[in-house]
Amino acid sequence: MICWKCHERLSTLRCASCGALAPPPAQPELFGALGLDRRYHLDAEVIDGAWRKRSKDTHPDRFAAASAVERRMALQWTATLNEARRVLRDPVTRAWYLATGKPHPAETGGPKLSPEFLEEIFELRMAADDAPAAVRDTAAQLRARLDADLEDLFSRWERGEGDLAPVPERLSRLKYVDNLLRELPA
Amino acid sequence: MSNIGIDLGTTNSLVAVVMGGRARCLLDDDGHAILPSAVRYTAEGTVVGFAALDDAAGHAATTLTSVKRFMGRSMDEARAEAAQLHYELAPPDDAAEEKVVRIQVGERLVTPIEVSAEILKALKERAEECLLGGVGGAVITVPAYFDDAQRQATRDAGRLAGLNVLRLLNEPTAAAIAYGLQERSQGTFAIYDLGGGTFDISILRLEDGVFQVLSTAGDTHLGGDDFDRLIAERLLQAAGVVGARGGALRAAMEAAEAAKRALTDADSTEINAQLGEVTAALTLTRAELDTLIRPLVDRTLSACKQALSDAQLSPSQIDGVVLVGGSTRVPLVRQVVQEFFGRPPFSDIDPDQVVAIGAAMQADILSGESELAEDVLLMDVVPLSLGLETMGGVVEKLIWRCSPIPSSASQTFTTHVDGQTAVAIHVVQGEREMARDNRSLARFKLGGIPPMPAGLPRVEVQFMVDANGILTVTATEQYTGKQSNIEVVPSYGLTDEQIEEMLETSIDAAETDVDERLLVEAKVEADQILRAVEKALASDAALVQEDELSRIQAVVTDLKSAMDAQERKKISDLSKKLDEVTAPFAQRRIERDLQLALQGQSALEVAERLDRSTI
Repeated sequence: MICWKCHERLSTLRCASCGALAPPPAQPELFGALGLDRRYHLDAEVIDGAWRKRSKDTHPDRFAAASAVERRMALQWTATLNEARRVLRDPVTRAWYLATGKPHPAETGGPKLSPEFLEEIFELRMAADDAPAAVRDTAAQLRARLDADLEDLFSRWERGEGDLAPVPERLSRLKYVDNLLRELPA
Repeated sequence: MSNIGIDLGTTNSLVAVVMGGRARCLLDDDGHAILPSAVRYTAEGTVVGFAALDDAAGHAATTLTSVKRFMGRSMDEARAEAAQLHYELAPPDDAAEEKVVRIQVGERLVTPIEVSAEILKALKERAEECLLGGVGGAVITVPAYFDDAQRQATRDAGRLAGLNVLRLLNEPTAAAIAYGLQERSQGTFAIYDLGGGTFDISILRLEDGVFQVLSTAGDTHLGGDDFDRLIAERLLQAAGVVGARGGALRAAMEAAEAAKRALTDADSTEINAQLGEVTAALTLTRAELDTLIRPLVDRTLSACKQALSDAQLSPSQIDGVVLVGGSTRVPLVRQVVQEFFGRPPFSDIDPDQVVAIGAAMQADILSGESELAEDVLLMDVVPLSLGLETMGGVVEKLIWRCSPIPSSASQTFTTHVDGQTAVAIHVVQGEREMARDNRSLARFKLGGIPPMPAGLPRVEVQFMVDANGILTVTATEQYTGKQSNIEVVPSYGLTDEQIEEMLETSIDAAETDVDERLLVEAKVEADQILRAVEKALASDAALVQEDELSRIQAVVTDLKSAMDAQERKKISDLSKKLDEVTAPFAQRRIERDLQLALQGQSALEVAERLDRSTI
């Protein structure tokens, strides 16, 4: 990429020769924004490190004396980096983003879940008052199976095998199980 | 040009600057770093700081203190506190006036923004005197818990004072910079900031030169003033005074504050105060004070717990606790903080100055030519969630509490009726589920939507919280690409035009202001000396020699006529002369008091007598 201001070659977000910031992308790819490869297996520490490093280049405080245009670019860039960190730091939203390209699930029109699964959750809910401990065990097992399933899908995808098409459905199930676990009496 | 850092506090304000690689607070002519956040309105103009506080009880209605509590607040919100004030809030005439607090000062009405601008102007002048190259931009600190309206009001006060406000900085973050840059430390820190009127707790991580705020919590209506108020109430109760207002209330608050200070070191203190007609006397012990303020101090701990839980940390994971704010000198506060975090807090930097010092460091970093820290970055968070009111008055959150700023979010809106061309949007800030329980930030209409069947238009509204924590809103209709016109009325009620108007009048008045200010200050000082001399002559007439008395009286007469004639130079000269001619008399009074001490009176009584011998 070439710097828009001084036409030198850019190696980082901020031009080494004139200090100008590369224009923020209109539809940013969140991994790319942080300079990370698209992967599911990522440590929170790695994400935070990348976020800190890039923010040092883009933060509006670095452009306090610059033109209004550059200050707006800095604002937009840093807001994007902050969104990228928030979405990618949580494994669930990170998985969702990798599979759909969207930062969060839509309110309506999500993946259809099988009647069997919904029935199972419904019955667990019904039993929750009488046997909370047993329900908690069963729900925790469900969660562990879903986690392993996702882990497997992403591991193969990172090796270049298979695709992520089943991921949204698994994440929807995960949400049901997590909601159930959260609402169980302590 | 140097950038300056300003701590605009409820009780005291300071200005600091980085010079020669070190941040330091700028002092006034008497060597004070602090400028009391007090403004007195007189017929001749305004007086700011110590001079305004002098005999505040005698000028209660025109001496404005603690106005920071009303920054960005509506009359409705301020009314609850009106009974505790020694000055009067003006009743609003209409709904528009309801949005902003106005204080009745004689014939005049002033807003908290204008009062704060007077304080900022005084600090700016101090900086201009100290800095040869002039004042560049300013960083002004605000409590981390300040919402959007309170931040906007602070920024407007800065503009009104003629400052180029580079950045609003959270007070605890400023304190963290002051410690972090000085000690070059890494780790996780809690900043416990208890000032005159506000309490803030922030958890910060310092890593790779980035100061990241992990969480913040607090209470914009909890501070040392509240301690004073409880003591004052106890005093008024003991004296049998009911419903004290004005001067009596102010006198009780002053006595309470002095007692609180005394109890920092002493185990017990005597309070004696003249409350209007009534003389009040009360003995207060440290233990009694502790019992009195314990519920307030405990309230700070619930905010600490909240901040730790937001940061997903336990007290033992904190590497250091920094105390900020004069109220952290109260022994119970230190004890409670130490117990909660299980470690003694840091207090190497003066808790009154640490925020201004941090602000100066940030101002220096923003200059882009920092000698301090080329590579340091500050990442703040939004203190309260931002959301929209949806159907049934429920809030839909767009930007969550503790998100790093700048932060953006967008939301798509549509229409409910065929051909509808506008949608009403209500932005709120706060954590409650119902819109009415949160703070209303702005109501606006998305207009100019092309007429289409219901549900078809797609209006994307983008919310952006900038690095100051201030919100802006833009909207675009997606099919036509038309930028919608948004009218955002700031909820605290001053429009940009009103601010511009205030700015213009203040610039016009700037020149006459300076002369007036000097005259007013000279008169206030003269008044203070005159009162002290007259009081001393009345109480200790026996100690004055006859020829001495006539010399003193001659100067007093001259000074009074100079004051009537508004002759500034003469007033200053005669004030100095009066000081000189009364010096031997003052010396004799002090010696006499020391004699009394040797005759076996308690040290406390003597100290009080000496205290009163102001000449």
